[in-house]
Amino acid sequence: MNTGQYISGAGHIGLIAWLLLGGLFTREPEPFEMTEVSVISGADFDALMAAARPPQSTTEVAQPAQPTEAPETPELTSEPDTDIRQPAPLPTDTPPEDTPPELAEQTPPPEAPVQDPPPDLAEPVGDVAVLAPDVAPEAAPRPVERVAPEPVAQPEPEATPDPVEQEAVTPDSTGEAVEQETQEATAPEEAVSEIVTEATAAPAASSRPPGRRPAAPAPRVAEAPTETVETPAPAASDPAPSVNNDDVLAALAAAQEAVAAPTPSGPPLSAGEKDALRVAVSQCWNIGALSSEAMETTVVIGVQMNRDGTPVIDTIRMLSSSGGSDAAVRSVFDSARRAIVRCGSRGYSLPEEKFSQWQNIEMTFDPRKMGF
Amino acid sequence: MTRFLLSLCAGLALMFSAPAQAQEPLRIIIDEAIIEPLPFAAPAFQAESPAAGQMASDLASVVAADLIGTGLFREIPSSAYISTVNDFNAPVQYADWKAINAQALVTGAVNVQGNNLNVKFRLYDVFSGAELGSGLQFSGTVDGWRRMAHKVSDAVYARITGEGPYFDSRVVYVSETGPKDDRKKRLAIMDYDGANVQYLTDSGAIVLAPRFSPSGDRVLYTSYESGFPRIYVLDIGSVSRRVLESAEGTMSFAPRFSPSGQTVVYSLTQGGNTDIFQMDIASGQSVRLTNTPAIETAPSYSPDGSRIVFESDRSGTQQLYVMPATGGEAQRISFGEGRYGTPVWSPRGDLVAFTKQNKGRFHIGVMRLDGSQERLLTASFLDEGPTWAPNGRVIMFARETQGASGSSTLYSVDISGRNLRPVSTPSGGSDPSWSPLQK
Repeated sequence: MNTGQYISGAGHIGLIAWLLLGGLFTREPEPFEMTEVSVISGADFDALMAAARPPQSTTEVAQPAQPTEAPETPELTSEPDTDIRQPAPLPTDTPPEDTPPELAEQTPPPEAPVQDPPPDLAEPVGDVAVLAPDVAPEAAPRPVERVAPEPVAQPEPEATPDPVEQEAVTPDSTGEAVEQETQEATAPEEAVSEIVTEATAAPAASSRPPGRRPAAPAPRVAEAPTETVETPAPAASDPAPSVNNDDVLAALAAAQEAVAAPTPSGPPLSAGEKDALRVAVSQCWNIGALSSEAMETTVVIGVQMNRDGTPVIDTIRMLSSSGGSDAAVRSVFDSARRAIVRCGSRGYSLPEEKFSQWQNIEMTFDPRKMGF
Repeated sequence: MTRFLLSLCAGLALMFSAPAQAQEPLRIIIDEAIIEPLPFAAPAFQAESPAAGQMASDLASVVAADLIGTGLFREIPSSAYISTVNDFNAPVQYADWKAINAQALVTGAVNVQGNNLNVKFRLYDVFSGAELGSGLQFSGTVDGWRRMAHKVSDAVYARITGEGPYFDSRVVYVSETGPKDDRKKRLAIMDYDGANVQYLTDSGAIVLAPRFSPSGDRVLYTSYESGFPRIYVLDIGSVSRRVLESAEGTMSFAPRFSPSGQTVVYSLTQGGNTDIFQMDIASGQSVRLTNTPAIETAPSYSPDGSRIVFESDRSGTQQLYVMPATGGEAQRISFGEGRYGTPVWSPRGDLVAFTKQNKGRFHIGVMRLDGSQERLLTASFLDEGPTWAPNGRVIMFARETQGASGSSTLYSVDISGRNLRPVSTPSGGSDPSWSPLQK
C-alpha cells in the first residue's frame, strides 16, 4: 500500500532535483569559427570553375585517316565474249508463188418467188386433234376477237375510255389449229406480256439453290432446260416410320441423280467476258422513254441462255425490283426485256466451253446513275 | 439395318447434291444505257365504216404527233413499212416490224355511225412479240375525235413510259396581239397541243394569270376591268363570271385554287403592303396568312393542300418560302444566286417549278422542296410563268423575245431539260395554266 506512495514521492523528488540542478549537466556553447571571405569578379569565378570542371566525355570516335592513295583497280583479265554463231538455216525449197484464184463473175441467184404455202389443215372431225404443221408462220392468228365489237355506252357529254370487253378464250371450239412460232421457241404472247405471269412461269428446275426464293410453279412451256439439277427427293430427310425397300431404292435413285447432275465445269468467265456481255446488253437498253420514277427503279431479271448465246425468250422473268411504283417497275422490265431480246437475237459473244457458267444469267438493270 | 441404309443414302444424296445446288447464275449489273427516242410505228387506223376513212388516218396522225411531241418517241415513216395492217384483228407480222426496228406498234380501227364515233386500238411490243396491255376502245361524238386520239396516245404513253397521261388536257392562257406598247390581252383556252382555241373574254381589259380549278370547270384570273386588279372566277361551260369579294381600295391578284376547290389563296395589297390571304369561295370570308412588311405573293398549294409555297422579299431579295396552309412560320427554300419567283408546286408533290432571274437572264427551273437539286431548264431573255402538266413531267411557260417588236410565245419543256419546243397558238400567248386530265 505505501509502496506506491514511496515510489511516487521518489519520482517527484527526482524530478524537482533535475529541474533545480539540471543546468549543471549542459555543455557550454562552442566558440564560432571565423573565416574570411573575399569578393571575386565573374571572370575570376569562371576561371575558377573552369579549372575545377571535370573532363568531358565524348562519344565521337575519331575517324580513321583517309588513305592518301586510291586503291588500285584490279585489272580485268577476262576477255570479251565471242559472238555466238547461229547455225545456218537449212535450205528450204521456196514455195511456189500463189496463183490468184480465178474470179468467176458472181451472178445473183435467180429470184424465186417466195411462197409460203399455207399448211393444209384438215378439217377436224369430231374430237380428232389437229396437229400444227412443223413450220408455222411466225405470227399466230388470234383465235378470238379481243376487242368487243359493240361499243360501250356513250358517256355524256365527254368521251370516256372503256376497257375492251374481251370474249372468253375457249380452246378451239371450231377445231382451228393454233399455229405456234417455232424459230425462237417463244411462249404464247400473252405469257410474256405480264410480269406476274412471267415471274410465276419461271422453270421449277432452275439450277439456282432452291432455298433462295419461293419455289416457282411448273413452267407453262413444255420445253425443259437441257441441263437441270434435280432436287433430291425430300423423303431422304424425312424418313417414314415404316421403312421398306422402295424407300431405299428411291433414296439411292435420288443420290444417283444428284451425282449425275451437271455441275459447273471449266473456268469461270473472265472479267473481260463478263464486261463484253454487259456492254452488249447496255447498247440495246434504251431508257429514253422511261418515266422519272422509273429512272429510280432497279429490276433484277433472270434469263436462261441457249448454247448459241441467244436468250430463251420465254424464260425472261423479273426476279425482284426496288423503288418505284408497279407502273415504273413494269416499264423498266419491258425496256430491259427489249434490250435482252434485241441484242441477243444473233447470240451474245460468250465462250461455248463455259456454257455451264452462263446458262443462267441474272441481270440487274439499274438506271439510277443516268437519272435527271 | 434398313434404317441405316436409308440414312446412308440420304447422306450420299446430300453430299453429292451440294455442289450442284451451289451453282450460281452469272450475275451482271447493267448500269449504262442509251437514251434515245423509242422508235414506233403507227399505221393508219382501219376504217370499219365508209364514213371513217379520213378520220382513221387523222386519228393515227394525232396519236403519232402526241407521242413524238414528248421527245421520248420517234415515228418510223410509213414508207419504211414492209407489211401493212389491213385488218385490226389480223395477226401481227412481228418479223416485218422487227426488220425496220419498230419497237412498239400501234394499230387501231375507227367506226363512224351517224354522229357516233368508236375508236379501238392495240399496242404491241414488237421484239417481245407480245401485246402491251389490253386493247381499249373509246366512244364519243365525231366532234370529239381529237380527244379520242389523245386518249389513245395517253394509254400508249403511260403503258410504255410508266408515266401518267397528260395528252387529254387543256391549257388556259392569255392570248396577246399587237405591239408591246399597245398589247391586247384576253383569255383563251385550247387543247394541250394548241388545237381548238376558244376565247373566254374580250380584249377590253387587261387580264392576267388565269388558273384552272382542280376539276377543270372554272378559271380564276385577274382583270383590270375596274381600273384596279381584281380577281374573277369564270365558269368555262357557261362562260359566265363573277368577281370575288374584296374591300374597296385594295388590289387583289395572283389567285390560285386549293386542291379541294373550296378556297382560294391570293395576294392582297392594302396600304402599300402586300400579303397573302385565303378566301372561302362560298362565304367570301378571307383569312390573312402572312403579315410582314415585305411583298409576298404568287402562292401555290401543295397537292395535299397542307402547305403553300410563295415568293417574298422579306430577306432583302426575292426568294421562295414554304409555310403551312393555315399560315404561320415560313421556311426559306431557295438559296441560290439571283432572284426566284412564281413558284408552282408539282402535281406529284416532289418538285417546285419557278422563274429565276440571274445576271440578266431568265430561267425556268425546278428544285426539291428543301431547295436541293435545283435544276435550270431554260435560259433566255425572258422566261416566266411555269405551269405543270397533269403528270408532273412537262412544264409549259411563256417566252418573250427582246425588242419593241418582241412577242410572247408558249413553250413546253421536259423536266429533264430536253425537248424544249414551242406550242402552236394563233397569236402570242403568256401566263399558261394547265388543266387537270379531262374526265
